[in-house]
Amino acid sequence: MSDAVLFEGVTFTYPGAPAPVLAGVELELAAGSFVLVAGPTGAGKSTLVRAVNGLVPHFSGGTMSGRVSVHGRSTTEQPPRRLADLVAFVPQDPGAAFVLDRVEDELAYVMENLGVPGAVMRRRVEETLDLVGIEHLRDRSVTTLSGGERQRVAVAAALTAGPRVLVLDEPTSQLDPQGAEDVLAALQRLVHDLGMTVILAEHRLERVLGFVDVALACPGDGRVVAGSPRRAMDVLGSGPPVTRLGRRLAWDPLPLTVRDARRRAADLSLVPPAAGPPAAGEVVLEARRLRASYGERTVLSGVDFTLAAGEIVALMGRNGAGKTTLLRCLAGLHAPASGTVSGRVGPPVAGRDVALCPQTPESVLFRDTVGGEIDATLGAHLGGQGRDGVLADFGLTGLAARHPRDLSAGQRLLVATAAIAATGAGVLLLDEPTRGLDLEAKERLCAVLELKAGRGEAAVFATHDVELVAELATRVVILAGGEVIAAGGPGEVLGDSPVFAPQMARVFGPGWLTPEQVATALGVEARA
Amino acid sequence: MHPGAWFVWALAAGAVAVGTTNPFYLVLLWAVSWTVYALCRRDNAGGDAWRIFVVFGLIALATRTALVFFGPVDAGSVVAAALEGLRLATLLVVFGTFNAVTDPFAVLRLAPRRWHEPALAAALALSIAPRMISAAGQVREAQRLRGIKVRKLAALPAVVVPVLATGMEEAVTLAESMDSRGHGRGTRTRYRPQPFAARSFAVTLGAFAAAGAFVALGVAGSGDATYQPWPLVWPGASAWMVLAVAALALPAAVPSGPREGGGAG
Amino acid sequence: MRTRPLRLAALVAANVLGVAAFAWPFLLSEARGGNAHSWDAPLVTGALLVLLAALLFVELGRGGMGPKSVALIGVLGAAMVALRLPGFVAGFSAMFIVVLVAGNAFGPGFGFVLGAVGTFASGMFVGGLGPWLPFQMVAVGWVGMGAGLLPRRTGWPLRIGALALYGFAAGYLFGALINLYFWPFTVTSGPLGYAPGSGAGLNLAHYAHFYLVTSAGWDTFRAAGNIVLVLVLGRPLLGALDRAATRMNFQVTQAPPGAHNRVASRPGGRGARLRKELARRGKSGLRRAGRWGKSQAG
Repeated sequence: MSDAVLFEGVTFTYPGAPAPVLAGVELELAAGSFVLVAGPTGAGKSTLVRAVNGLVPHFSGGTMSGRVSVHGRSTTEQPPRRLADLVAFVPQDPGAAFVLDRVEDELAYVMENLGVPGAVMRRRVEETLDLVGIEHLRDRSVTTLSGGERQRVAVAAALTAGPRVLVLDEPTSQLDPQGAEDVLAALQRLVHDLGMTVILAEHRLERVLGFVDVALACPGDGRVVAGSPRRAMDVLGSGPPVTRLGRRLAWDPLPLTVRDARRRAADLSLVPPAAGPPAAGEVVLEARRLRASYGERTVLSGVDFTLAAGEIVALMGRNGAGKTTLLRCLAGLHAPASGTVSGRVGPPVAGRDVALCPQTPESVLFRDTVGGEIDATLGAHLGGQGRDGVLADFGLTGLAARHPRDLSAGQRLLVATAAIAATGAGVLLLDEPTRGLDLEAKERLCAVLELKAGRGEAAVFATHDVELVAELATRVVILAGGEVIAAGGPGEVLGDSPVFAPQMARVFGPGWLTPEQVATALGVEARA
Repeated sequence: MHPGAWFVWALAAGAVAVGTTNPFYLVLLWAVSWTVYALCRRDNAGGDAWRIFVVFGLIALATRTALVFFGPVDAGSVVAAALEGLRLATLLVVFGTFNAVTDPFAVLRLAPRRWHEPALAAALALSIAPRMISAAGQVREAQRLRGIKVRKLAALPAVVVPVLATGMEEAVTLAESMDSRGHGRGTRTRYRPQPFAARSFAVTLGAFAAAGAFVALGVAGSGDATYQPWPLVWPGASAWMVLAVAALALPAAVPSGPREGGGAG
Repeated sequence: MRTRPLRLAALVAANVLGVAAFAWPFLLSEARGGNAHSWDAPLVTGALLVLLAALLFVELGRGGMGPKSVALIGVLGAAMVALRLPGFVAGFSAMFIVVLVAGNAFGPGFGFVLGAVGTFASGMFVGGLGPWLPFQMVAVGWVGMGAGLLPRRTGWPLRIGALALYGFAAGYLFGALINLYFWPFTVTSGPLGYAPGSGAGLNLAHYAHFYLVTSAGWDTFRAAGNIVLVLVLGRPLLGALDRAATRMNFQVTQAPPGAHNRVASRPGGRGARLRKELARRGKSGLRRAGRWGKSQAG
């Protein structure tokens, strides 16, 4: 069988970039592989997957040498539309990529463009609806779909042309864990049942490592190293918590999944860690018996919530559980049907006592420079800590003169968060701040929040990212159906939950949160 | 029903409206439009828009009537002006009904091959617009939390620029997605073209016949289609022409087929 | 392939026909019409709609817009739809700012298509389909086309100033054009009415009088609104569109093996190349410099 995808000496430089993002890449991918492309932001993941269907260079510009071919057809010489019958591409944000309004029409769009006869189109649409498991969505408007449904519809819309290679750019980064699971299961079915080659760029490694059989590592120097997922983790020096732990403890082979790690850790015995003392700071925000509704629909029913100075509270729960509404009530943006919200003195005033970052904070950026963006806020809040101080807190000092929309997604999020937090409010609320962020950007955000908490400020963030909660939160509140079903330290709340437990708790039992914590504990035991 | 049939119906009713100043026919056409609107409108939308059309129609009527006071005034000229206003108002109501009964996306799918791309752009605009409106609301709120006084004119860029800039970024994604899915390769086929079934056929024929009969009778001079209110006496009306106008209510009378109903097109 | 002059001639002819569709009461006013027949109205309206359809067919149906133009017009058209709804004060409509700015940023051809398509979409969105729609599409299209003919390579003050003045004038011209579609049928008597057979001069005077009485006040809101919006939003929006134009227009260079970084790749001139591409319609922006890296037989 021929190679599905072949890179021969591919070197590519974006317009105006000082160095190539891909340098002399040689790759052979066999048909029927499930391929992960991993690496930090800006290291060429996205470039690599886009070169497979010709969006690079045809939609990016730049300088290219070498040759990319898919089943023998060159993607550098033909624009993406000429390859639509062979390679399908699903972008990171399929919501912006839908062309038609109805799901069924969206599925047929590519076939219409390819001139497929009507009867064939009809049959393939039905088959694809079943294959991806979205038959129930056929008459829906694409604007009403949830994130996971959108992603699966986008996959289905790419598949009806009968491509042999499917390329996805960060398909699960915007999804909650269940949505991600659904999408990955659907992709795995394509590989197993149809022998399709699936290539996905992803930074949520803990989600995908269990599925893929080949990994391409982009370490950031223009190289692309192909091999087993384990080899890729070696090259990148990163990975999910179990891998990081394995590296610290010099385990060989390196564990990639909780199952690997559990097998290796069977002979280790750890004393369950003691829960830390509860935070005893001054209460800065308090909600009592909060009820809230949108029209007829009750979203919060009797929620009690307290936030003390120095706390970083994680708000978890499935989509629709009331996380966003609780944040909006705390910020005074949504008037509760009953119950009270109080700050240090009286009800909190949004923008003075409380700052809220919405789900897409980068949508507030409107100035030409990062510095100007901070000034736009400070101009209204002369009591703030000053532009340079804000930039320094967020590690943005070097970017002050850049255009915000030229920055990476992670940097943009930091700029927007800085612009919103620059009001000087002592409480920062963030609604899913790490959606679509890579590890590095996440660490930066963690550092900012910990810095602020250390100063006696406080933060609440809604998230699905269990490992982030394990790293960062001092307390966790879990919502379901508009009620608080669990609250407390992350060790006790997350530890024995089948859904919310972090990898360390799954390997070592309740209470364990981060690889660093486990490594330290093991180190102490070894000495004792 | 096929949007093409609705299109023919609206053209026929519009031709009747524009072709007469006789208040009997015009008022009857209002009644016909209302009946069709009430029985055939789509569930999800259009109701409010129809009422707005009625309001605009009444404004047009009042304005036209008021204009008469710029010339020599007599009772006849006031009535003539009011009837010309009523004619414009009737046209508005007819098309108000057309808008309430058709699905915009289905109308756009009728675009001939040459207009495929502009029609697609219009369909995109229609589906992106609601997203943009809610994005503008969110941006406005977020900027308010930053202390930007969003009610001030000078703060308009703070709301409009992010929405447009984000939109431009999405346009790049959209263009990539379209190209990746073969847009612009040339040969195109159409998925599930809307069936032009018996009901649509009947309405098309009926509307043609009714408008044709009305215009033919009017041109022949019967039934006071063109009413001159000097002297100011009630105009006559032809029973056949009344019947022709009433026949335009046909869409409300034919039963909807199982595959054709609803707004899905 | 048709040559550019031919295409230009077709465009000019189509636009002249479009002007005729609006201006017929003056052009045909010498003709002896006798009494106005009420049957003239549907016939003439039908004929006019055919003329406008011909214009739109030539302008919009040239084919090969390509995904970039379709996507841009979709997004900017959505902005027109969204802006048509709020701030509906008399003749004022915020949607004109989009046409003015995008026409200016991307050129006259794009301006016309955006104006026409955006008006159509907003007509559908608010449920405003009717015989008036082709007139509105063409009139808004012309507003966008005019904005594209204004200077855009000058400094900001001149660019914004010219656009603001143009927006002011366009506010009135648009209203004066649009009223023409019903005036000849709806006002058929008196000193404000259409008088067939009475000459272009008298009819222009009648129409001017009619316009001043019924619409000038209404349209002042639109003209003033255009000025204010261009002054407040013009520069940041043009900045955002120019950036988008730069992102969407690029050039691919194929470096010969072993000389990867030899060829510089970024063309200058914000938006200039995209405009060229939009004007060329359908030709891919791909331009190859240098030789292909490998033999194609790979």
